[in-house]
Amino acid sequence: MRVAISYPPIINKYGQKAMVSQNRNVQFFKKPTYLLPVTHAQATTWLRDLGHDVLWDDGNAQLKSYDQWFSDLINWQPEVIVFESTTPVMKFYWRTVNQVKERLPDCIVVMTGYHSMRKPEETMAESLTDIVLRSSHVDFALARLIPFISTNPSWRLTCNLEGLLIRMKGIELRSTGNFRQVEPLERSPLVDRDLVQWNNYAFENGNFLQTPGTYATSVIRDCMFGKCTFCRYNGSDLTFSMMPVERSLDEYENLINNFGVKEIFDDSGVWYRGREARQFAQGIIDRGLNKKGCYFGINTRFEYLDEETIKLMGKANFRFVLLGYEAADDETLQRLNKGYQLQHVESCLKWMTKYGLHPHLTIMVGYYWQTQEQLDKTVAEVKRLMLSGLARTLQVTLCTPLDYTAYHQECIKEGVLLTQDYDDFDMSKLIVKTPVPHDRYYGAVRDMYSVAFHPRFIFRQLQFLLKFRKRDWQFLFTYGLRAIRRVRQHIFNLTRNEGTPAAYALPTKNVKY
Amino acid sequence: MYRILEVAHLTESTVRLRTERPRVKILAGQCFNVGVPGSGINREYSMYSAADAPYLDFLIKVVDGGCVSPIFQKLQVGDAVEIDGPYGDFCLKENEIEGQHFVFLATGTGIAPFHSFALTYPTLSYTVLHGIREPNEQYGSEDFRRESYIPCISKNYLDRTSIRITDYIYSNPISANSIVYLCGNRNMIVDALEILREQGVPGDNLITEVFF
Repeated sequence: MRVAISYPPIINKYGQKAMVSQNRNVQFFKKPTYLLPVTHAQATTWLRDLGHDVLWDDGNAQLKSYDQWFSDLINWQPEVIVFESTTPVMKFYWRTVNQVKERLPDCIVVMTGYHSMRKPEETMAESLTDIVLRSSHVDFALARLIPFISTNPSWRLTCNLEGLLIRMKGIELRSTGNFRQVEPLERSPLVDRDLVQWNNYAFENGNFLQTPGTYATSVIRDCMFGKCTFCRYNGSDLTFSMMPVERSLDEYENLINNFGVKEIFDDSGVWYRGREARQFAQGIIDRGLNKKGCYFGINTRFEYLDEETIKLMGKANFRFVLLGYEAADDETLQRLNKGYQLQHVESCLKWMTKYGLHPHLTIMVGYYWQTQEQLDKTVAEVKRLMLSGLARTLQVTLCTPLDYTAYHQECIKEGVLLTQDYDDFDMSKLIVKTPVPHDRYYGAVRDMYSVAFHPRFIFRQLQFLLKFRKRDWQFLFTYGLRAIRRVRQHIFNLTRNEGTPAAYALPTKNVKY
Repeated sequence: MYRILEVAHLTESTVRLRTERPRVKILAGQCFNVGVPGSGINREYSMYSAADAPYLDFLIKVVDGGCVSPIFQKLQVGDAVEIDGPYGDFCLKENEIEGQHFVFLATGTGIAPFHSFALTYPTLSYTVLHGIREPNEQYGSEDFRRESYIPCISKNYLDRTSIRITDYIYSNPISANSIVYLCGNRNMIVDALEILREQGVPGDNLITEVFF
């Protein structure tokens, strides 16, 4: 079959493009950041391996306008189109699906992603989507579904593959039940880099310390912990799957030796820990991959990696470590189910910086319960960690309920959502009632980002760079400039609603979706 | 900080830790993050004890090359641990507890949540299949109803031939209207899901918790 895995370019009124960012969130940015959608890339590779004619159709990364993207897609005449949904672009996707169906009525549109998997009936009601795939294992689900469709003309009636909501006729729908929660990741192919045009994602990504960089085929899908209320990788129907260490090492070796990558980032829900983490780092060293000038980055949690493991990772040339810090008060961490204790943050960061790792903190503000005192504490603690050199970089976002996560549902239950219009869920403004005016949170964002321009922070960064085994001063300029650009962009995005009358207790908008 | 009340070395590589209980509501099947004070690392462990017990029990499998479990193995009564939680919803639904038959598939220490279920809900109707390597790994088997506990021992011993959970369910199909909980080793869960789906157990009736 002719299958397109499609990401349309989505541009907002500020001329910013929707970019998939951390944790599969969509945010609008003027300056590009292109993240490879790893699971969909694996799906594409797998379908190609099964003999299907696939189109990797990322209009964003391929720098297309919407019209160009649309016309190219229609001209390719796909039999199946796969989209990935998330809350802030749902309305856009529904319109796009309907436009596609108008031009290609027989084309089967499959909606994947964390929003539609939580609200499948909604997408069926709001668009002409044929199948909502409720599984996070998009690669496994499509590798079963597409061959079935291609050999069963009456697939709408007969397909019993789990995890699907199928449109029968008009509004008549059929569910095939819950999806398979655990899949053997070793059976899903490693991403074919050429097929997904890896170069398009190799340079414009603020998380890369060096370029060309790339994303590894994730070693963990969803999350080992999987309990944080705001996170997509949480829910009774989600559980983590893990790829064997040796297979991941093989991929790294291939990426370094055959593609010349200088940085590999694994954006798994949470990377290996314990024995597997040590085996991986030791494997990098044993294969001599730590001597090839390539940095490795991961996403982990506080209290997951011990000093011995971190030391080994430093030796193996790991650098960028993304840590979800979220807030500096115990009440918030408990309400978010973060599962770590603040008292251990400092020791973890000390180990990381001691062995040359580059801790990157992600912080959120604007929880519907967050008091001024809690906010001030977070700002003060983040600044302290940054200025003392315990954390190297940070990313602050407005906590936005998305994709019907536990936090999203809690906001609905508590009646604190200020809007039901999904377009408002783009993380550019606070959309929940809060104990203090929204401007205070926007101010906190500005305050935390302003650390980047503090002389003490700059001094710490220089001090850190001098410790690099690879004394690459080019790094200072390339990464430094990119970092400043990103900081400016984040401040613009997250504070542009500052001073607007979007008060913290506005009545809920009556617009549905 | 919570003190250790009891340490039982069940096998060479499995230890049961009994600790003081946090004063919070706990549901059978939930897990806690347990850490060694000052170490800065923790791990999730499912509760092994009844939800209303005045203490918490955890079954710890000591991982060769691991960073946390070998420390737990050396803990003694009176030592302290950090406990954070409870978390998770690998729990039975209140409205299904009466009148529903459950099948529990576990490997090794993955028996912990099912042990907690059996102690918490004494009238529960269930069959538990426990996949283990050695006969001495039948942790807490005396707490399950005798006719409901089926050990699947993968190593040959005495006159019994080895059997795995997947062999058992292949030869003894699970009723399609059972609710099946699976906990433990990922490979067992993947293989068992395949068989259960072939036997007609709907996806909505399959609930999993992967340990490793």
